Amino acid sequence: MTNALEIKNVNKKYSDFELRNVKFTLPKGMIMGLIGSNGAGKTTIIKSILNIINYTGNIKIFDLDIKEKEDEIKEEIGVVLDDMFFPEILTPNDIDNSMKYIFKNWDSKLFNSYLTKFSLNINNPIKTFSKGMRKKLEIATALSHHPKLLILDEPTSGLDPVVRSEILDIFRDFIQNDECSILFSTHITTDLEKIADYITFINDGQIVFTKTCDELLNQYGIVKCMEKEFQKIDKKDYLKYQKNKYDYEILIENKKDFKKKYSIEVIDKITLDDLMVLMIKGEK
Amino acid sequence: MIGLIKKDLAMIKGNFKFLAIFIILYFILGLMGKMDISFILPFMSVIIMISTFSYDNYNKWDAYVITLPNGRKNSVKSKYVATILLVLILTIVTVLLSFIIAYCRYHILDYEEILSLTTGSIFGTLLVLSFMYPIIYKFGVEKARIVICSLVFGIVILGSLIIKYIDLTGIIKILNLMQNYWIIVILLFAILLVYASYRLSLKIYLKKEF
Repeated sequence: MTNALEIKNVNKKYSDFELRNVKFTLPKGMIMGLIGSNGAGKTTIIKSILNIINYTGNIKIFDLDIKEKEDEIKEEIGVVLDDMFFPEILTPNDIDNSMKYIFKNWDSKLFNSYLTKFSLNINNPIKTFSKGMRKKLEIATALSHHPKLLILDEPTSGLDPVVRSEILDIFRDFIQNDECSILFSTHITTDLEKIADYITFINDGQIVFTKTCDELLNQYGIVKCMEKEFQKIDKKDYLKYQKNKYDYEILIENKKDFKKKYSIEVIDKITLDDLMVLMIKGEK
Repeated sequence: MIGLIKKDLAMIKGNFKFLAIFIILYFILGLMGKMDISFILPFMSVIIMISTFSYDNYNKWDAYVITLPNGRKNSVKSKYVATILLVLILTIVTVLLSFIIAYCRYHILDYEEILSLTTGSIFGTLLVLSFMYPIIYKFGVEKARIVICSLVFGIVILGSLIIKYIDLTGIIKILNLMQNYWIIVILLFAILLVYASYRLSLKIYLKKEF
């Protein structure tokens, strides 16, 4: 097994939205961040992977077709969904008591250690938990059956920076085992800059690109210039541009090549937020 | 499946105190000869279990349960098994209480009457469960209430029309022929009905998107 996840030509049509020919691969032992604006299709992709919705196309997890070997695969997956999903009336203890009969590899000891780490009382009903505490419980549950693949939809939303950092450390530890991988959708792209190996960018139901995070952050750049300089730049040499009140912001794919060709010296480093904004709102 | 049954039972454990009070009340009223409510206790299991559908729906549990191994199938199966378990437990409680009440009041035990009342209550409860669950799976708890009300209204009208215009003496003759076997026949019919209802609910749930 070389890939944790392989998606080919996945399509899903709603009345007001369409996922078109989605295709990407998550190699084993890697963390992939799924980024895109609200309604771009991130949750639809995750729901397709998990067979929560019907779709056409081919999805393989651990080289097995999800539609054919669903139960086998789901023993090895840990999931956090976008919405809260545990009934509020339950306690973490109830979750533990249920999950030990659901997952063959459920580890109550590990679950309890996460609860202690996250300062969650095992006997308090979930309705008494804050949004962040509920997310922490969901993450603890996703990790406690020793999964090989974590599929996480906005797992760090609603968490403060300290807890987010703790959780990112847990994810880093998780992939220390080369067999383990993570698919991670989020709006908090700074989290991805810290831990992701790959970034898949989706816009309007279509994959724009899948690239390594290092490639994006080191090779891509933003050039800020005046209109006069902008007019001299060949269209082929930039991906998108945005006209501001006083200057132009130009997204370029290769800082080195651009520097060689043009006499513009200052090229800003890019963040995933900049990249998203320019790719979505910028013009060509 | 056991894990999901445990989860459902954990969700309704808050109702058990209320149920205990209800049983005590039922027992006192029965002793006083004020009412016979042998049907109510088993039927309450369905009412209580329906609340778990509401909790699941409110907390968007269904999307998550699908991500668990064998999630879709076990989710439907666990609802039926948990309800039948509750029906059986509450039926046993009802039978025991009925015996105590009968003995305290009349100093005799009318096995036949208690047996027929019990069979009737199990059959009635399983009938309600068999109709309600597929409707809940198809339309969701909220819409299901309206559908069920319309269905009951339709059944009442249809029933009154049948009684008025169709000769039922043939069916009554068949029932008389069965004599003491009617209990077995009626329970077998109920089991078949629950199984058919489960298959239908499963078919609906397997196709559902969340």
